[in-house]
Amino acid sequence: MLQPKKTKYRRAQKGRVKGNSQRGNQLAFGSFGIKALEASWITGRQIEAARQAVTRYMKREGQLWIRIFPDKPITKKPAEVRMGKGKGAPEGFVAPVAPGRVILEAEGVPFEVAREALRLGAQKLPITTKFIVRRDYQK
Amino acid sequence: MKSIEINGQLRKETGKSETRKLRKSENVPCVLYGGEEVIHFYAHKNSFRDIVYTSDVFLITFDIEGKRIRATLKDIQFHPVTDEILHIDFIEVIDNKPITINIPVRLSGVSPGVKGGGKLRFRTRSLKIKGIADSIPECINVDISNLHIGDSVKVEDLDLEGLNILSPQTLLIVKVVTARGIQADEEEEEEEGEEGDTGEGEGQEASEEKSDE
Repeated sequence: MLQPKKTKYRRAQKGRVKGNSQRGNQLAFGSFGIKALEASWITGRQIEAARQAVTRYMKREGQLWIRIFPDKPITKKPAEVRMGKGKGAPEGFVAPVAPGRVILEAEGVPFEVAREALRLGAQKLPITTKFIVRRDYQK
Repeated sequence: MKSIEINGQLRKETGKSETRKLRKSENVPCVLYGGEEVIHFYAHKNSFRDIVYTSDVFLITFDIEGKRIRATLKDIQFHPVTDEILHIDFIEVIDNKPITINIPVRLSGVSPGVKGGGKLRFRTRSLKIKGIADSIPECINVDISNLHIGDSVKVEDLDLEGLNILSPQTLLIVKVVTARGIQADEEEEEEEGEEGDTGEGEGQEASEEKSDE
């Protein structure tokens, strides 16, 4: 699962995802990709689930790029604990994603295979996405 | 280079609100520079379809209210979510003044490596070139009919006389790699050759599944 090797601080403030993605909003490596249409936090587990779904459908052919990295620690309080008494324990890492962010890119497989693989991968994510293709791609 | 003609209108006013009005009426605000003066103009978004959604490079002749100017595409801005064209920069082409431009790389021929089951990895789809606009070719052809599995073509391998390539000489353009299926088969054969057939097939599948997880 994707997570930083080490972190400077164990806990981070919540923050807000505002506006559209100003960087990483165009395809950079592959011919196909999925782009976020909503703002959300995407956890390392969700990214891993999406990666597995895509690589299984592509039968480990072609290449896949993950364009987001979960580097923001999130915490969670244990069940049945009263509020207060400090922030909860680190539970995992998330990648804050703004609309327009390219999440996955694929290359080396036919158009139909890429579209279906990325559709299956997008189902593992908590946001709506759209399938995008390189502008000069010819079927 | 291919050529195309586009009609544009001069922008009377610039600024945020005027630009928004232009975009609302399906026009694209553009700027043209590199010549004597900077020209702000606009044109309908459909007129840019041929130059944006292609890998070809065009020498564009603009007809801006009677004034004819030759230019090439410099930069395009897209909306992060909708991918609509927000703004285009053009750079004026002046006779005998060299321009820097990205030329598409086209592959020709059939690679024996691909026929033998390898996978073609087309890494660099365009190369940065400097030269006089009229002498720049439409594309750079790379012959892959001699590429076997493991072979590659780099910029330094290209025979491009008279062209000043700005991309690094060691930049990889295309290579043929071993497909994973073939690699697995080869490994299996090697293992069988060494140890005889004692059920490596299952072990192979299991290890592949593990690596996938």
